[in-house]
Amino acid sequence: MSARLWTEAELRRICDLALQGTNGDQAEALVLASTNELTRFANNVIHQNVASREAVLRIRVVIGNRVGMVTTNDLGQEGIARAAKGASEVARAVPENPTFGGLPAARPIPPGPPAFVEATAAATPLDRAKRVQRLLRRARERKMTAAGYLSTSASEVAVASTEGIWAYAPSTLAAIETVVTGGAGTAWAERNATDLGKIDVDEVTREAIGKCAAAQGPRDLAPGTYEVVLEPYAGADIAQFLGSALTGQAVEEGRSFVGGKLGHKVTGDVTFVDDPYDPASVPLPFDFEGQPSQTVRLIEQGVARAVVYDSRTAFRTGSANTGHAVPANPFASASAMHLRIEPGNKTREQLIREVDRGVLVTRFHYTRWVHQLRTIVTGMTRDGTFLIEKGEIAHPVKNFRFTQSYHDALGGTLGVGTDLHLFAAGEFSFGARRVPAMRLAQFAFTGSTQY
Amino acid sequence: MIERDLAHRGIDTARTRGATYADVRFVRRQVEDTFVKNGHLDNVDRTDTFGFGVRVIADGAWGFAGSQMVTPDEVDRVAALAVEIAKASAIAKERDVVLAPLKPQTGTYRTKIEVDPFAVSFEDRVGLLIAADAAMRTVKGLRTTRANYEIWREDKLFASSEGADLEQTLYEAGCGISAEAVGDGELQIRSYPAAGGRTQNQAGWEFVTKWDLVAHAPRIAEEAVALLTAKPCPRDVRTTVVIGDAQLMLQVHESCGHPIELDRALGTEAAYAGTSFLTTDRLGSFRYGSDTVNIRIDSTTPGGLGTFGWDDEGVPASEGWAVKDGIFVGYLMSRETAAALGKTSNGTMRASGWGRLPLIRMTNVSLMPGDAGTLDDLIAETDDGIYMETNRSWSIDDRRLNFQFGTQIGWEIRGGKLGAMLRNPTYTGMTPEFWGSCDAVCSPTEWRMWGTPNCGKGQPGQVGHTGHGAAPARFRNVRVGVIR
Repeated sequence: MSARLWTEAELRRICDLALQGTNGDQAEALVLASTNELTRFANNVIHQNVASREAVLRIRVVIGNRVGMVTTNDLGQEGIARAAKGASEVARAVPENPTFGGLPAARPIPPGPPAFVEATAAATPLDRAKRVQRLLRRARERKMTAAGYLSTSASEVAVASTEGIWAYAPSTLAAIETVVTGGAGTAWAERNATDLGKIDVDEVTREAIGKCAAAQGPRDLAPGTYEVVLEPYAGADIAQFLGSALTGQAVEEGRSFVGGKLGHKVTGDVTFVDDPYDPASVPLPFDFEGQPSQTVRLIEQGVARAVVYDSRTAFRTGSANTGHAVPANPFASASAMHLRIEPGNKTREQLIREVDRGVLVTRFHYTRWVHQLRTIVTGMTRDGTFLIEKGEIAHPVKNFRFTQSYHDALGGTLGVGTDLHLFAAGEFSFGARRVPAMRLAQFAFTGSTQY
Repeated sequence: MIERDLAHRGIDTARTRGATYADVRFVRRQVEDTFVKNGHLDNVDRTDTFGFGVRVIADGAWGFAGSQMVTPDEVDRVAALAVEIAKASAIAKERDVVLAPLKPQTGTYRTKIEVDPFAVSFEDRVGLLIAADAAMRTVKGLRTTRANYEIWREDKLFASSEGADLEQTLYEAGCGISAEAVGDGELQIRSYPAAGGRTQNQAGWEFVTKWDLVAHAPRIAEEAVALLTAKPCPRDVRTTVVIGDAQLMLQVHESCGHPIELDRALGTEAAYAGTSFLTTDRLGSFRYGSDTVNIRIDSTTPGGLGTFGWDDEGVPASEGWAVKDGIFVGYLMSRETAAALGKTSNGTMRASGWGRLPLIRMTNVSLMPGDAGTLDDLIAETDDGIYMETNRSWSIDDRRLNFQFGTQIGWEIRGGKLGAMLRNPTYTGMTPEFWGSCDAVCSPTEWRMWGTPNCGKGQPGQVGHTGHGAAPARFRNVRVGVIR
C-alpha cells in the first residue's frame, strides 16, 4: 500500500471515533484526504515545487430536522471528539429546517473500476522534475519558453454514518499543462490520467511546440459570428458550465436552461452523460453522502432527459436521489462529477476540413456567466486561435472576446470528434469531464485584444 | 510556544539537509460560515485547521512542503522533503535564486476589532440573517433569497533562518444578502452590500452590523423583481458610464491589481493567470490612466483584507503608489522578484494557508478619491449616460487588457438625473483606454474599503483575500450593452 495513502483502516478509525462522539438523532462523518505534489515551471525553469499532505474530517449531526456541521483537520482523538461535540452543539442551537429530510439510508454500492495507480502515488520530486526537464529542454532548443506544471496526487474519500453507510475509495491523478510562448504567439497542451505512466510528456511537448510555431504572428480578424471548431480544451469549458446547470438545485432555483424542458430539444445532436463508472475518467461509484452514484443520461441527441440530485434536493423536490452529492456547501449540493460528451464520428482534422471559413479555438480563458439561465458566457480565446479557410488552417489570429449562449452554440452542432480528452479539475466544479472536439455553426466573438 | 520550538527544529533540519535558506510558517485558522436560504438556516460550517509549511532554498532552487501533523518527527520529515524537492527543482534551473535583502523582523501584530465576532452569541449571529432574509421575502415574486456571514480568525507564526520571529492574529468578518427573481426567460439578482455573496473586511462583528442588512433587504428584493420587466441596456453603443464603488473596486482588482503583480510581469504565472501588459520597461513612464487616476498599494489601511504586520516571507507592511497621476509607477513584489529589478520587496507575499507556498498577492490596492463630490453630485453633473452598480459578471484577458463586466442593475442618466432602470447592463473596453477616459472620481466621503475574499491564483490553486478602496467614478465614451 502506498505511503502516500492514509489507508482505509485509518479513515475508518477516524470516522468511527467521530460518530461515537456525536450526540444526536443521526450523524455522518466524511473524510477527504490527499497527498498533492506539484512541480511548476515558467521561463524554462522549475520555479515552484511543492508537496502537502492533508486530511479534513467533516461531521454532520442531525437532531430532528436541525443540522450542525463542523470541519477539522485535527485528527487526534481529542480533536475528533471536540469536533463531534461541536457539531452536536450546533445542531442543538440552530432553528428547525423543514426543507431538510434527514441523512440518507445506506444503499448497496456496486463496485467501480479502479481509480488508484500505485506508480502515480509513488512518483518522487525527481521523477516529476526529470519529465519537466525534457519538456523545457525541447522548448529551449526551439527558442521558445514553457510554463506549466506536472502534478501527481493520491486522494481518498471515506463516508460513514449512523444509517449504516461505509464507503471508501482511493484515487490518483497525474496532470500536465503547458503554455509554450514564441516571440509572438502562444500554444497550449494538457493531459490528465489516473496513471502517470499514461501521460506522454513528449507528445504533450510536440503538440504545444508545434502549435506554438504555427501560432506566431497572429493577424487581426474582425469580431463577428463565425463557424468554429473547438479543441477539447475549449469544449471542456462548455461541458463544465452546462454541466453545472444540469442539477436538480439549478432547476429548482430557476437558473437551469433545461428547467421545464425535459423531453424537449435544448441543443443540437450532442449527448451528455454522467458516468461515475467510466474507466477512462476518475471513477467513483458513490457520492459524498455515501450514496451509490447512478449513470444518468442528461441530454440525449440534444433532448434534455434528466438532471442529477443529492439527498437534500431530492427531498425538497420530491425526486429520486441519483447519488451526486458534493461535500455540503451553500452554493451547489449536487454535481455531474463524471460528465462525458459522447464521441462523434469525425477526427479533429476532418472537422477542420469541413469548414469553409471559420475559427479554430484552442482554449478559453477567464469564462464567467453573463446570464446563467440563458447560458450566456463571456471569456477570451487563448493560446492558439486560427482562421480556417477552405478546410485548411490559414493563419493565426489575435484573440477574441466572446459572449455566447453555450447551449445555443451547441444548437448548431455540425460535428463531434471521435477522441475524448479527460479534464480532471475545474475552476468551479468537482470531478472530471471527458470531452471531444466540436464543430459549431455559429459562435459570437464580440471583441478582440491586441495579441 | 511549542510551534516556535518546532519551527526552529524545522529550520535546523532543513539546514542540516543542505538548505541555504529556510522559513517555517504555522497557521491556525478558525472560520464560521453561515447561510440562510429561503427563510431557513441552510448551512452552518465551523472549520478549524492547523498545520505548517516549510519553504527552503537548496542548491539555489526553491522547495516547499506542508503537513497538518504537528509533531517533531513530522516536522523533520517535511523539512527534509522540502529540501529534496528543492534539489529536484535545481536540475532545471538557469541561475540561483536571489532574495532582496531584509533586516530580520521580530514582533507581533493583531487586527484591531471592536467586537470579537466569535464572542457574539450564535443566536444573535443567525438571528440577523433570518431577519434580513425575512425582510427580503416581504416582497412578492422572488424565487430565491440568501443571507450569509463569515467570521474568521487566523493565528500565524513565522520564523526564518535569517532570524525572523513573527506572530500575527488576524480577524475578518463579512456578510451579504441577495434576492433572485425568475420569469419569462429572465433571471435577475440583486445583492447587498456587494456581489459574490458578501463583502468582507478585517474587522469584528461591528463590520456586519454596520451594513444594516435588514433595512436594505426590501429595496434589493423590489429591485430584483422590477428588473424582470425593466428596459434592456442599450446594445453596442458608446456612452458615458458612472460606476458605483462596489463595482469599481472589482474593476481595480482585475485591471490594475493583477497586472501590477511582478510575478505576472516576469512570466512566472504565464500558464494559469497569465502575464501582464505592464511590462517592466513601462515602469515609471507608461500612461495607465488619466491624471485623475491614482491607485495605491497599502497594507496598513485599517479594515483592508490585505492589512497585516508582515507578509508571509516576513517583510513589513508598507504603502506606496501603483499609479500616480495616471502614470504606472509601482509593482506588488516579493523578495525574489524585487531582486530581479534591483529593488527591495514591498511585502505582498501571502499564502492561502499552511499548505500553500506564498505568492505575490494584492494587499489593499485602492483607487484613491478625487474631488467630484458625492455620487449625487457626480450624476447631477452628467448630462447623458448610464449608472451601473454591483457586479454580476467579470472577465479579462490574460494580459489584463480586454475586459468585460456586467452589473446587476443600471439606470439611465438624463439631464443630471437618474431615469429608467436598465437590466443586463454590461460594459467592455481595453484597460489603458478605459482608465484614460476617467474624468471624475468622487470625494473622500464616498470612498469605502471593500473586500474580495475569493481571488484565485497559483497552481495548486489558492484563494486570496484582497482589499480595494474605491469611490464612484465617471468614464467617457465606453462601449456598453452586449446582451439584451
